Amino acid sequence: MEKVKQKDLILYSGLIILGLAAPYLFSAFKVQLTYLCVLIVLAMTWNLQGGEMGYNTFGNILFYGLGMYLTASVQVGMFFPLAEWTESGGEKTFVHTTAQYFQGIGVGLLVSAIVPAVIAGAIGYAILGLRGHYFAICTLGLGIAAGEIAGGIEIIGAGQGFTTPPFPAEIVDTEARGKFFYFLSFALLVGTFIFVKYIYGSRFRLILNAIRDNEDKAEAMGIQTMKYKIVGWMCSAFFCGLAGGIMGGLIGYIDSTDVAFDGREMGVFMVLMAILGGKGTLWGPVIGATLFHFFKEGLWTLILGWQYVALGVLIVVIVVYFPEGLMGWLREKYPERFGEVIDEKDRKAQVELK
Amino acid sequence: MNKIAKLFVTFISAITLALVSFTSSFAKVEGEYIVLGSAISLTGKYSSNGVHTQNGYNMAVDRINKMGGVEVQGKKYKFEIIYYDDESNPKRAAQLAERLIKQDGVHYMLGPYSSGLTKAIAPVTEKYKIPMVEANGASRSLFTKGYKYLFAVLSPANQYLEVAIDLAVEKNGGKGVKIAQAFEQDAFSQDVRLGILDAAKRTGSEIIIDDKLPKELNDMAATLAKVKAVKPDVLVVSGHTKGALTAIRQISEMKVDVPMLAMTHCDAAKLSKQHGKKSEFALCASQWHKNLSYKDKFFGSGKKYAKDFQKEFGYDPPYQSAESSAALLVFKDAFERANSFDRDAVRDALVDTEMQTFYGNIKFGPGGQNVAKPMILFQVRCKGDDCENRVVAPTKWASDKFYHPIPKWSERS
Repeated sequence: MEKVKQKDLILYSGLIILGLAAPYLFSAFKVQLTYLCVLIVLAMTWNLQGGEMGYNTFGNILFYGLGMYLTASVQVGMFFPLAEWTESGGEKTFVHTTAQYFQGIGVGLLVSAIVPAVIAGAIGYAILGLRGHYFAICTLGLGIAAGEIAGGIEIIGAGQGFTTPPFPAEIVDTEARGKFFYFLSFALLVGTFIFVKYIYGSRFRLILNAIRDNEDKAEAMGIQTMKYKIVGWMCSAFFCGLAGGIMGGLIGYIDSTDVAFDGREMGVFMVLMAILGGKGTLWGPVIGATLFHFFKEGLWTLILGWQYVALGVLIVVIVVYFPEGLMGWLREKYPERFGEVIDEKDRKAQVELK
Repeated sequence: MNKIAKLFVTFISAITLALVSFTSSFAKVEGEYIVLGSAISLTGKYSSNGVHTQNGYNMAVDRINKMGGVEVQGKKYKFEIIYYDDESNPKRAAQLAERLIKQDGVHYMLGPYSSGLTKAIAPVTEKYKIPMVEANGASRSLFTKGYKYLFAVLSPANQYLEVAIDLAVEKNGGKGVKIAQAFEQDAFSQDVRLGILDAAKRTGSEIIIDDKLPKELNDMAATLAKVKAVKPDVLVVSGHTKGALTAIRQISEMKVDVPMLAMTHCDAAKLSKQHGKKSEFALCASQWHKNLSYKDKFFGSGKKYAKDFQKEFGYDPPYQSAESSAALLVFKDAFERANSFDRDAVRDALVDTEMQTFYGNIKFGPGGQNVAKPMILFQVRCKGDDCENRVVAPTKWASDKFYHPIPKWSERS
């Protein structure tokens, strides 16, 4: 046991060093790396519902979009009148000082973590009673509705979109912005990973699994399933909100349906990445998101115009050949490497029972 | 777990190696080529206009290269463009702009299609101080952000249909009119809406329907039902190509009678071809029309441009293509005047641009918008089954008189 832990330690410190060195090693790829961190966070948090709890949600994009709008609104609203900022054709130009910019984004991110979590609690209370497909379809509606509603609210720019505050001009280094957002997203990734790993070692995960495997039985055992379902969703919302906040600042322009509540892309991607890597595993979403991102960045521009066809093929391949994801596939092939011991007698006995 | 971990580490290091070997960036000027970058919507909701834009760029690149290219410090250079598909998505566009600049080493950018995408790219080009000449981002808010490296060859969006309201008021004997309007929820169309609001205020007109249309626009029956009930004097619709097509399709299906129908993107939607007589009398705002009398030495006149474009791509050029071609002419002019590849020298040369192209006069205002060119209005008119866009305003170029009011559907053959 001790030995394994040491190996883990080497692996983690190696990854952290790689993560910290990445923006210097691959200076030109900072933005893509930032995306990668955010994608991994989204896949990992989706996995808490879809993988561990067995509740396939398409609604996590709601928290991501909320986080985006909240961070930007707070960042602007703390120092300037928000309505004048978002008004198109307004002749006034507002410029954040360096201190204002960082204070704004700090407070904004705090808000964008807490508010989505609270909202997840409220919505969860209302709809987590639904199960299976009903829950999935209900959450699908959440993201779409949020996009349409946000597109009608003038104070956050409505259909015009919301230009987030530009990075302070006083910082002359053109690389500073890229580094800032990379390290922010990397910190979020590390935080999320530690949190999810903690959950994986806790009783909480077992309860989520119990809900996935048989909710009625879990309830009969005296577990207040509703409570745990809501808490699980709130945890996801917390990190999704932060991810959205960082993305908003990075992209610099928030559009209601194409950037913030982007269920068609981000909302589907987070599900796809988790399934590709293997849902219900710690490393699955990480590997899935990484592979997916490389696939997307590497291949998409080579097959201009056909990229969505290729994505469709990828989905089919995943579903047909790797229904349990890469991790699930590996686990089936090499169970002993996952620490699973196959008891031949037991297996035979089970076969006979059938 | 340890084997898996090893596998993972191998995987990561393989990627690391691959990335490091990729990082070598290209130069802004490679041999005899000046490399420009552009993210264009080849798929997604703006794909048809994205292709119009790309065709416009390509047409100009071919023509300039064929006619000797760009002369800088006595040496002839040719243009080359690196394209990426932004999938009509602002998030993707911003990412691709970053990629063009950081990975492909592009130092000069051409704009994407649509205001929303330009809004997403402008902060990136601004951050890296990359001059961008754009031809398809008309939203007024682009020009009030104090961007220093953004140059637009087109007139701002709020000017698109203001003239149409003035025309309606004039036909109404100078009295205010009742306006019904429906706009897509995107940066461009919402800006057109603001222009109408200004015009309404100025002329004492009243807005009796003010609807928003969804982005994936294929139905506006609810708005049209209201229009049928309240009978406005003018119906204004804007929602890119799909908006124009949907409006005409449903207006003719529902037999909605309005005295005046003002729209945008009629030529990009090829309305007169696709809907023929059903689209007759539609009044359209346009940045350009082939009958305008501007000239340059590369494309000759607008008519010649239209003919060459038709030969090359098989359809009449919409203004989106013409303005895109003009963007390249602006770049060529700026490079030659700067006589240098220094980004700031090129940027300063762009500021001083004052030229005539087949597309119109170009001179940039302090916000980067083109202030030397008016908008025009044309009306779809048919002879038999043959329909055409005829310029009706401003009077300098008008080939036809503005037909008003539109006859009722019951009286149309």
